[in-house]
Amino acid sequence: MPAALAQLLALGTGPGEAWGPAPVIGYVGADVPVEYLTAAGLHPLRLSGNPEAPHTAGDRYLGTGLDPAARSVLTRLLDQDYGPLDGLLVSRDCEASLRLFYALRELRRVEPSLTLPPVHLVDVLHLPHRTTTRYVRAKFAQVRATVGTWAGRTVDDAALADAIAAHDRLRALLTRVASLRRQRPARLTGTEMLTVVAATTALPVGRATALLEQLLKEAGELPQHEGLRVFLTGSPHDTPHVYAALEDKGLLIVGEDHDRGDLLHLRPTGAPTEAALAERYQYNGPTAPRASIRARAAHTGRAARDCGAEALVSYARRHDEAPRWDYAAQEAATGLPSVLLGRQPYGALDDGAAEALTALCPHAEVTR
Amino acid sequence: MNARLNSASAATAHQRQWFAGLRADLADGGDFALVNADAPQEIFRTMGIPYVVNQWWSSIVTAKRRAQDYLELLRARGLPDDSEQYSSIPLASAFDPDPASAPWGGLPRPTIVLAETTGDASRKIFDLWGDQPGVSFYPLESAAENDVPTRWWELMPRDWERAVGSDRLDLMTGELEGLIRFLEQTTGRVFSETRFAEVMELVNEQQEWNRRTRDLIARARPCPLPVNDSIPSVMIPQWHRGTTWARDAARAFHDEVAERVASGTAVRPDERLRLMWIGRGLWFDLDFYRRFEESHGAVFVWSMYLAIAADGYLRYGDDPLRALAARFAAFPDQLYTPPWSAEWYVKEARHHGVDGVVHLVSEDSRGSYFTTRALEAAGIPVLELHADNVDARAADGDGLTRTVGDWLGTLTLSDRAAGG
Ligand code: SF4
Repeated sequence: MPAALAQLLALGTGPGEAWGPAPVIGYVGADVPVEYLTAAGLHPLRLSGNPEAPHTAGDRYLGTGLDPAARSVLTRLLDQDYGPLDGLLVSRDCEASLRLFYALRELRRVEPSLTLPPVHLVDVLHLPHRTTTRYVRAKFAQVRATVGTWAGRTVDDAALADAIAAHDRLRALLTRVASLRRQRPARLTGTEMLTVVAATTALPVGRATALLEQLLKEAGELPQHEGLRVFLTGSPHDTPHVYAALEDKGLLIVGEDHDRGDLLHLRPTGAPTEAALAERYQYNGPTAPRASIRARAAHTGRAARDCGAEALVSYARRHDEAPRWDYAAQEAATGLPSVLLGRQPYGALDDGAAEALTALCPHAEVTR
Repeated sequence: MNARLNSASAATAHQRQWFAGLRADLADGGDFALVNADAPQEIFRTMGIPYVVNQWWSSIVTAKRRAQDYLELLRARGLPDDSEQYSSIPLASAFDPDPASAPWGGLPRPTIVLAETTGDASRKIFDLWGDQPGVSFYPLESAAENDVPTRWWELMPRDWERAVGSDRLDLMTGELEGLIRFLEQTTGRVFSETRFAEVMELVNEQQEWNRRTRDLIARARPCPLPVNDSIPSVMIPQWHRGTTWARDAARAFHDEVAERVASGTAVRPDERLRLMWIGRGLWFDLDFYRRFEESHGAVFVWSMYLAIAADGYLRYGDDPLRALAARFAAFPDQLYTPPWSAEWYVKEARHHGVDGVVHLVSEDSRGSYFTTRALEAAGIPVLELHADNVDARAADGDGLTRTVGDWLGTLTLSDRAAGG
């Protein structure tokens, strides 16, 4: 395996390496404008859950009816599993994230002995209206001030412009890397791509950019992959467990529409201004919990075609409600053979799902 | 004491009559809105656009035992039948091949649907409404705040700008201006500022009556009415708020309670334990609330319906549109988001001098942990009942009764002293 890919895969979704003296700020959700953290010289670390560890503490504070990924993140925060964090930005990308924020805010108030880091809500909203843009800009001004406090210095316009350019460059590289798995035969699996994207959310932007550039240079050495070309929709995946389980069954995930995959990097900011940044985050998507059924179906249809997908799979984690409402329209929009895997356990497929996949792909063992 | 409160019967009768009139008015078409419970209905009231509250219709369908038929209609379209049912059941009426067989003669077909984009799935239900021919969906943003002042109930009536936050209010006011323009254009009706001011005033008057009623019940020993009578007496006028009927109904409810207090009427003259019920109503078994009166002298004196009417709606100010935005920009936070929810329940528990709290915790427990924690920290005993409020299948009724009965047995005098 070429060196850059090996390094990126080794980083995975775990906590970042030691990054020198820069304070680490954890963040939840793709709606957090990491540009401010980079501009302030802070190290952003996107938080993921861990399906293999129990999330008892998270269940206790959040209830068992909420997305288990969020319950796992809260548990890991309480266990100090991410290493020392100097701050925490939580976006409102879905209901579970918002409730995670409320729980953290209240735990800091009533149980200060838990020593949770200071937490700030990033309330990016997504209706396509000017009123919403104005609101998001007001919220970004707050984030900028909070980040400045954490960094001990104000975030100036020049530093912000540089950070916007740096993150746009990273996004452009991710889009080029993603095209490697669209090739026939593919040069990256879906599992690898998801892991590469995750690694870039745990690395400083400069380091991530350098590794992706190296990966593209070494692309010719990458092995080739075959399989039923699947477009994956539904819940976001904060770990590669489900991708690996699907690809073990002979599928090849050539694209997805969640914000730990293609939706993270497709939309650039463009102009180096705070106004452009606000619009970038407001209009990024369409994600399942925040977009209309119509916008989501149109996007899925288009994206599945662009990927040359042969089938559509919707994986909906238990207590992640939005994807199941989207599915009927997405199925119609893609016109592909498709399957809904509803109410799945966190980080795994249940037996019914395995059966449904066999029906979608009866000769899977043969092709593999 | 078994005679039903007149105001509860009157409200129920009014609702039926009103609905029949609505159906007659819309027989030849006309504008009609279906709106979510926590959306700003006052705009429709002002413009004279009739509306029905989505969740109210859902409860009618459920009470008439048609919920499963409706859920089947969703399932047949590949839609979930086990997600947000309380909001999704009315959507199925759009797919009903036999709409005339529906309860109360059926829900007229809306031309406008209004909802906030709360949660992850509830807006999708309205997306589907918006795809129906002749129906427009107007979505409202739902924003959240980083820091909130804790004792919101003291600030809300007049100092709501501080309680809710200016960014949220700017956003919601902008959204409401957009809604008004949208309704002016699609219905050709007028939004009169004068009429709007009247509507806002009527709503405030109505909630002031509810506030007095709540305070009467809080102070009364023994409790003058069962909690299941207070629910229709408050909620039906709530859906009609902004009318003189609703204001007068709230006053009549107050007067009736005051009369009972004056004459010493009691649910149990030998009231020994005063209880608070936190959570949505146990719709599949409303008699549950009365099951412990005889055995333990235990009376439920509190449910959120009257209390939120008393504390959650009042908004005064020179700018009625911004005041209306303040009524809805943070509405669910009052009930479900700590610290607001947790501190408010503690305040209400003390105000009513309850000896214990039965806290209905569904699997999807919004802030429940923090509510229980806050009550216990205040020395008030809490029993968490883990059950769903609408899905009887998930709850073992006898088991719930036993659990509450056993717990009541443990509420000793010393507990009560600590809780008071
Ligand atoms: S059904 Fe068989 S041939 Fe068709 S894609 Fe699946 S494995 Fe390949």
